[in-house]
Amino acid sequence: MIAAVVILILSTALFFFYFQVTCQKILGRQFDREYFQSIANANRLEFPSLRKSLEEFGAPVDYSRLRMMLRCDFLALTYLLKNAANVNQRYTNDERLLILYFRWQFVSLGLRRLLRLGENAAILRLTAVLQYFANVVGQRVNAVKFGNLTAADYLLNL
Amino acid sequence: MDSIIIRDALQYAGILIEGCLLVYMTRSAQRRRHAGVGLYLFCLLAAGQVRALILRGYGWSSPQYSYVYWTTDFLLVVASFLLVCYFFQRVCEHQEKMWRFVRVLLGLIFVLVVGVSALSFLGNYALLSNRYIAEFNQNLYFTCLVLNTMLYFMLQHLESTDEQLGLLVCGVGIQFAGPAASMALYHLTTGESFARSLVSFTVPICTLGMLLVWAYAIVRVSESAVKVTRRRTGEPALVEVTAD
Repeated sequence: MIAAVVILILSTALFFFYFQVTCQKILGRQFDREYFQSIANANRLEFPSLRKSLEEFGAPVDYSRLRMMLRCDFLALTYLLKNAANVNQRYTNDERLLILYFRWQFVSLGLRRLLRLGENAAILRLTAVLQYFANVVGQRVNAVKFGNLTAADYLLNL
Repeated sequence: MDSIIIRDALQYAGILIEGCLLVYMTRSAQRRRHAGVGLYLFCLLAAGQVRALILRGYGWSSPQYSYVYWTTDFLLVVASFLLVCYFFQRVCEHQEKMWRFVRVLLGLIFVLVVGVSALSFLGNYALLSNRYIAEFNQNLYFTCLVLNTMLYFMLQHLESTDEQLGLLVCGVGIQFAGPAASMALYHLTTGESFARSLVSFTVPICTLGMLLVWAYAIVRVSESAVKVTRRRTGEPALVEVTAD
């Protein structure tokens, strides 16, 4: 009985641990250059400034605005992932996994806020996912040449 | 009815990915490097086919199917243990001294697991039932899970740069952790219908998760490694990037 309880708790914890580590490993993928800044500028995404303010000052802006910013950026980037320079018009498996990871971290952000556990780590993880998505979009847009259009021009015309 | 369709769809998706990965690996230049993974995938595929064959011939509730199911399950757990050993060997590739120590340790753990299982089996011989076998598999799964976690921390400790191996180990972790947790729940709830259906879903979902992570590690990570190497050696890249 006790052994089963121990196995249940440890296995569940390890399942989430491996899920998180797998996502972190995918997020750690090296891009040949940083594409996210141009994508963020073209689409007025706010996660780079949010990340910067968190890293420099340690405190984010007010919570409800923060959630709204992250949600809007997430919706914009997932739309771009699916539609910008994507011939198949669908997510890849790793993107699906990261979308799931983002949603999980988003729920965890709310819980951390509720339990007053400090939400900075969760916010940084969320912005890391957004940065990865922006890098993927940027890489795709750059790989396909659209006449004389730059990545920013292409995205503005989308 | 719907749950049966979903479960079957998950299992067929798993078989499809297993087959595709196996074909990809046998055709790729890395087949020697991933020999252990390929062998494990072959075991998964073969066990699935044997089960399907017996199911078609004898039916769901036949003793033949039950016997084949639990035998293949046991063989798969042993194959999982050997897979973890193979990963340990890959980690200790350049450290002969450490591999000698790890080899002895893994042998001892295997003997210990076999010994404890044999004692448990002899003690419960009269009570041999699905519930007992579920507990037995749960323990074996959990041993592999613990070993895999040790392997993961060993990779971190040695500061391994093998991204592919790290992802392969994470995939195995997902495959072991999910079923071990659901089997423990099944055991705690004494086989209630909720726990039973949870087990029947968790196993194919986690196997599918592992296969997708492996596919990413074998196909995508090796591709990006080639790109980075080409860039470092000055060869032309696969995709030319222009400034925006």
